[in-house]
Amino acid sequence: MKSLKVLVIDDESVICDACNLVLTEKGHTVDYCMNGKTGLIAIERGTYDVILLDMKLPDIDGMEVLKSVGEKMPGPYMIVMTGYSTTSNAVQAMKLGAADYLSKPFTDDELIEAVEKACAQQ
Amino acid sequence: MTSTTKFESYFHVLRDVIRTMHSITNLQEVLDVVVTKTTGALDAKGALLRILNRETNQFEVRAACGLGEKYLAKGPVNTETVLSTLSEQDKVYIITDIWNAPRVEYPQATWDEGVRMMVDMPLGIDETMGLIRIYFTKQREFSGDEVDFIKTVAMHCACVIVRVQLMESQQSKFSHLAAQMDKLSSLGRMAAGIAHEINNPLAGILLYSSNLSKKVPPGGLLEEGLKIIVKETQRCKTIIQGLLEFARDRKPQRALVNVNDIMESALGIVENEFHLRHVRVKKQLDKVVEKVYLDENQIEQVFINILLNALQAVEDKGIVTVQTVVDQEHKKINIEISDNGCGIAPDHLKRIFEPFFSTKANGTGLGLAVSYGIVENHHGDIHLFSEPGKGTRFIIEFPFQVHNSIGKGVHEIS
Repeated sequence: MKSLKVLVIDDESVICDACNLVLTEKGHTVDYCMNGKTGLIAIERGTYDVILLDMKLPDIDGMEVLKSVGEKMPGPYMIVMTGYSTTSNAVQAMKLGAADYLSKPFTDDELIEAVEKACAQQ
Repeated sequence: MTSTTKFESYFHVLRDVIRTMHSITNLQEVLDVVVTKTTGALDAKGALLRILNRETNQFEVRAACGLGEKYLAKGPVNTETVLSTLSEQDKVYIITDIWNAPRVEYPQATWDEGVRMMVDMPLGIDETMGLIRIYFTKQREFSGDEVDFIKTVAMHCACVIVRVQLMESQQSKFSHLAAQMDKLSSLGRMAAGIAHEINNPLAGILLYSSNLSKKVPPGGLLEEGLKIIVKETQRCKTIIQGLLEFARDRKPQRALVNVNDIMESALGIVENEFHLRHVRVKKQLDKVVEKVYLDENQIEQVFINILLNALQAVEDKGIVTVQTVVDQEHKKINIEISDNGCGIAPDHLKRIFEPFFSTKANGTGLGLAVSYGIVENHHGDIHLFSEPGKGTRFIIEFPFQVHNSIGKGVHEIS
């Protein structure tokens, strides 16, 4: 498995830490940002393979982040995470360029499977 | 009074009663007109109008004229005294023997009031609901014309009372419904907020516990404990998904469908569980069922919820009956799901549609609350009859004519 560069954007540090633990154990590199604005800057500057994006962020809505990424810097494999999953917002996220969808809470295996699908896509 | 002027005065009273009746916003106005105008037209001392309060089973004074405070202070009259001698609704009772007539509850007070004769006219259409009593200071003949007059007044008055009582009961039904909907929607909003907040910490718990369970020695207590944490966290996720499902704005996507088909499909889904418990389903589906505008998926969910409740209520080898009946007269289709199971205790029955109310150990208490909301959104009605030890019967009614053009599925109650 190729090592992936992953960025987690979530305002909950416990989730950032948990994703970091699970993914680094699998040989991937993980960075994280606690809000949408720093997330967008990090995406612009870095060369991430996968972005794990929470839909509810303290500053900007996850959908807005998706939109900006889609318009300005297409490329990274976007996985949306949300605690309030509905079919309609999943569809909306997919339309805005999200490649996958993780509904909170999820297990380590579900996280690894979703992230490593990025390799298959690339 | 000459007979012409007498008839004129009767006519005026009837005209006044009818006029007030048609402009009513409150019943009191009509009752006041009835007692004052009747007293005048019959040249009486006064009149009293009592209406039966079905809760206390007493005839309560609702309007009076020409009577002293002391007499009126005697209060309501027990139904037994009045009804025992009120076998014929249409009959006018003339009481001349104040002291001995069984209908007179307070003879002394009546005598002291200067009353020497009374005329009782029952009020009612199918059953007695009240009484007009007219008081005279001296005994006299009560003519056939007077009897006809008082009967006509009583008949109009009874019609108004029935109409107002019907209106009041509808009003109270609707305000109860509005309160129920309001409660459901605020609970729903709260549930959605809580669900969202809880999913984040749960995500932390699930990621760490599932990750750790692979690092501990296999087969040990640690692994077992961590697996329980994983399983229980996933159970929380299911419960929260149920909450969110409940809180979601469920606008029905209606199409013209056959209710029997939906029932068949719901039965197909639960068939296996019924089979495992040896519970028999008796189907009585109306062959000439009308198609109705419904959201197939939502209604199927309602049927499944009720069928599964029925399954849990019956013992092994119980019977669940499903029935569809077309009610052409009321342009409705009735769907009935009944069981011969344990029934619902009366104090549970009142709360059965409340969200989060459950009598099952593992129930979320959302199945029936969701079903209630769905049926309401379809302009339908859901009724429940249950007797502990005998069984439970759910009846769902949908009108034929409601389709997409009527609202967008949201029941507006102003």
